[in-house]
Amino acid sequence: MANSATTSTASHGTHGDDAHGAHPTEGQYWIVFVALAVLTAVEVGWSFIGLEGVALVLPLIVMMVVKFLLVGGAFMHLYFDTKIPKGGTFVALFAIGLILALMVFAATISAFEWHV
Amino acid sequence: MSDLALNAEHVADAHDDHGHHSSLGLSNAKLAMWLFLGSECLLFGALISTYLLSVANFIREVVAGNPEVIDTMGVGSPIMAEIAEAHSVEPMFDIPFTSASSFILLMSSLTMVLAHKAVSEARYRESRIYLGATLFLGATFIAGQVYEFTAFYREGLTYTGNLFGSAFYTLTGFHGVHVSVGLIMLGSLLYLSMRGRLQQDRAETVELVGLYWHFVDIVWVLIFTIVYLIP
Repeated sequence: MANSATTSTASHGTHGDDAHGAHPTEGQYWIVFVALAVLTAVEVGWSFIGLEGVALVLPLIVMMVVKFLLVGGAFMHLYFDTKIPKGGTFVALFAIGLILALMVFAATISAFEWHV
Repeated sequence: MSDLALNAEHVADAHDDHGHHSSLGLSNAKLAMWLFLGSECLLFGALISTYLLSVANFIREVVAGNPEVIDTMGVGSPIMAEIAEAHSVEPMFDIPFTSASSFILLMSSLTMVLAHKAVSEARYRESRIYLGATLFLGATFIAGQVYEFTAFYREGLTYTGNLFGSAFYTLTGFHGVHVSVGLIMLGSLLYLSMRGRLQQDRAETVELVGLYWHFVDIVWVLIFTIVYLIP
């Protein structure tokens, strides 16, 4: 009986993880961080090698998006939250704001003249 | 038997603490945080867009006396680079210094997520170390931003001096305010933890603060690339 109660308490202790899907291990968090640090270093290096126009901007934008997805997916658990029932709601709430913001951004960019 | 009763009572109390779930079976607090972060996307999306427009208008102001230059200028054109260089807009940025700040903020995201994991696994001493580290790294980032703003001000870039200054300080300043609010929340968590009031059953509180902190990190990822790295 006592064991049963202890087990119950322990399982409650991991309630957060149960409700939010299986989260990464500490090692996996470190791998994500190293990837982010390397991407940042590559970004900075890329901006210093003297490229111009699309050759400069496009890789920087791609690396920025990858960093965004890594932080959002791993550190904010969005990737893992989608694995639980109705967990996609979290993603949807964030995505609505993000899509609207991207629309504002696209409208702004469309006002520019591009000479590349 | 009394242990059993105590354990059962603890479980019941703990469930009461965060038993506020929506009809979806998800935590209301977490849903609210994601909704808030979605609205924050709009805020920073508008600020970044305003920055881009303001910088473009600033450069137009700079070359206002040369209509033929205005007709031929655009993002990525050589004339834009020349104008930026001539007016010391981009050379003012200290990219290695800002890169170090970015690295510090990224590292604070790692310590934040490790703090959440430690609390959810009842490793309270480690959670305090990670929370303290996040607080320290965040404060270092803010100190770096204050240093950067001071250096720019001394070089003549003021908030009301021109459009570029207004847009730059507004965007990065808003981000700095968000980081500062995050520091207050982290300080509160650390205080609660040191008083023994941040137990396993309140891991979601740490997760919510973590979500906010990671969002602030994500915004800096965008600002760093768009403002500092892309000419």
